[in-house]
Amino acid sequence: MADALHTLSAAELGRRLAAGTLTSRVLCEALVARYHTMNEKVGAFTHLDPADVLAQADASDARRRSGQGRGPLEGIPVAIKDNIAVKGQPLTCSSKMLAPLVSPYDSHVAERLRAAGAILYGRLNMDEFAMGSSTENSALRKTFNPWDLARIPGGSSGGSAAALAAGLVPLSLGSDTGGSIRQPASHCGVVGLKPTYGLISRFGLVAFASSLDQIGPMARSVEDCALLLHALASADTRDMTCFGPPDRALTPAGDAKQLRIGIPKGFLGKGVAPEVAAAVTAVGEFYRAQGCAVSEVELPSADLAVPTYYVVATAEASSNLGRYDGVRYGHRSSVAGTPVEMMTASRSEGFGPEVKRRILLGTFVLSAGYADAYYVRALRARAKIRAEYLAALAGVDVLLTPTVPTPAFKIGEKASDPLQLYLEDIFTIPANLAGLPAISVPCGKSGHLPVGFHLVGAPFSEAKLLSAGRLFEAAHGYAHQQAAL
Amino acid sequence: MAEGFDIDHLARLARLSLTAEEKALYSSQLSQILGHFQALAQADLPAAVGDARVVGEAALRSDEPGPVLGAEAVTRIAPGARDGQISVPRVVDDES
Repeated sequence: MADALHTLSAAELGRRLAAGTLTSRVLCEALVARYHTMNEKVGAFTHLDPADVLAQADASDARRRSGQGRGPLEGIPVAIKDNIAVKGQPLTCSSKMLAPLVSPYDSHVAERLRAAGAILYGRLNMDEFAMGSSTENSALRKTFNPWDLARIPGGSSGGSAAALAAGLVPLSLGSDTGGSIRQPASHCGVVGLKPTYGLISRFGLVAFASSLDQIGPMARSVEDCALLLHALASADTRDMTCFGPPDRALTPAGDAKQLRIGIPKGFLGKGVAPEVAAAVTAVGEFYRAQGCAVSEVELPSADLAVPTYYVVATAEASSNLGRYDGVRYGHRSSVAGTPVEMMTASRSEGFGPEVKRRILLGTFVLSAGYADAYYVRALRARAKIRAEYLAALAGVDVLLTPTVPTPAFKIGEKASDPLQLYLEDIFTIPANLAGLPAISVPCGKSGHLPVGFHLVGAPFSEAKLLSAGRLFEAAHGYAHQQAAL
Repeated sequence: MAEGFDIDHLARLARLSLTAEEKALYSSQLSQILGHFQALAQADLPAAVGDARVVGEAALRSDEPGPVLGAEAVTRIAPGARDGQISVPRVVDDES
C-alpha cells in the first residue's frame, strides 16, 4: 500500500487515518522516501528534515490513539512556501539575503496547522521574495515542471505547485501577490486559491507588497483545497487587515448549477494561446450545459491592470525590503566601513537581479517629482479597476477567464525580458488589486502541458468559487492528476 | 508623465551598489518597463485614490502588552551580537 500513498487525496488519507488503516508515520515515511528519489529531479523543496517530520507524525499518531485527534488534517503533511514562518525551520524566501535564517516563531497559519494536527512538512522553493512568475529567480535552486522538466513550474509559488504535481506532498501553502498561487497551479495542473484580502492572517508571512499579499491553499483537488482553506481562515489581531471568515465565505454555497457566470469581453482574444482559449471556452459551455447563466461582461480598464500592479507592488516592495540592512537578521557583508557602507554592501550582495530591479523601480515611482505621475495615478487606476470588477460581480456570481495566457514556457525562454514575464500575470493581477477571491482549476491540456481556468468572485465568496470548481471537477478527470516521473 | 531617471540617484536612495554592467542593464530594462506604464498617463482615471481594503476598517487589537521575542531569540538570528546585544560597525569615532 505504501508505494501508492503519494497518489491519494488529503481527504482520502484523512479517512484512512481516521479509520485506523493508516498511520501518519507510515504516510510520512512513504513521502520522505519519495522525496529522496524525486526531489532532485523536480527541485520543489529547498529543505526537509525527515527526523522532525517523523517526530511530528509519531506525536500525531499518539494523539489519535489517545482519542485527542484534532480533526480532518490530523497527521496529514502540509508543505510550506519558504516565505511563511515555521518555528525552528529555515525562512529564506529563496534569497541569499536570508539563507542563514531559522525562524524563531510560528506564523499564524503555522499555528493553525499545528492546532489542526497537520505535519509541517518542509520548505518549498519560490522566486526570491516572491518576485517572479517562473521560480527561476530562486537563489537556492531550480524547480522544474513535473509535466515537462525542461519547462518552468510557474511562480512565485513554483515549489508549492510542483511538489503537488510530483506527488511529493498532498497539500501545500503558497502566497499570492499578483497570481503567485494561481499561475503555478495552472502550469502544474493543480488547484490554487487566493482568498479575499483579509480572510487569512499574514502574521509571519514575509512582506512583499502588503496591500496585495495573501496566503492561500494549494492541492490536487478542489475538495482538498477547501479542506485546507477551512483550517487556515480565522481572525487574527496581529494582522490589522485580517477579519477572518464571515459565515458566507466558507459555508457551502447553494446549487452551483444556478450560478451566473460572466466571461469578460476580449479576454479570450489577443495574446491568449488558441488551445487555452478553446479549453476555457469549453469550460463556459460546460457550465451553460449544467444550467448556469453564462453571459459576456465588460471590464474596460483591464489593460491598465499590469502597469497599475507593477507600480503599486514595486513601490510597496521598495519600502518593505528596506528592512534588510544586515543589522538585525539575514546577510551582513564582510566589507568593513561605515554602517551605511555595510548596509549597502549587504543589500547588494544579498539581493538577486529581479529583486534589485523591483526595488529600483519602486524607488523611482515613489521618488520626489515622480510619485504623482506614477504611484498616485496607479492608485487611482486601482480604484477604477476595483469599481469595474465589483460592478461586474453585482450582475454575475463569478467571472471566468484563463488563469494564464499560454502554457508553461521553457526554462530560460523569458529570462532576459522581464516585461514579457510580467505579462504572464495579466488575468490574475486584477483580483489582487481589487482584494477579490479567485481560484485556478485544471481544465485540460495543451499537448502534454496542463491548462487551468480562473474564477473570480465578490469579496468573501470563496464558497461559491469552491462550489463551481467542484461541479467542473466532478464531471472531468483532472482532479488528483500527477505527472509521470 | 515623467520619463527620465538617474540610475545613480536611484541606487543611492535604495542603498544598492551597482556595477557598470548592472547600471546599463537596469537602465535599459527600466526604460522599457516605464514605457509600458505610459498607459496610466493616458487613462481617464477617477480623482480619488480609493481604498485597497475590502472591509473599510482596520482590525485593531487592544493596546495591551503581549508576548514578544526575547533578547536571546533576537540575538541568535542577528548577523552580529555581543553581550546580549546586536553589534554593528562603529557609528561614532572615539573622542580624541
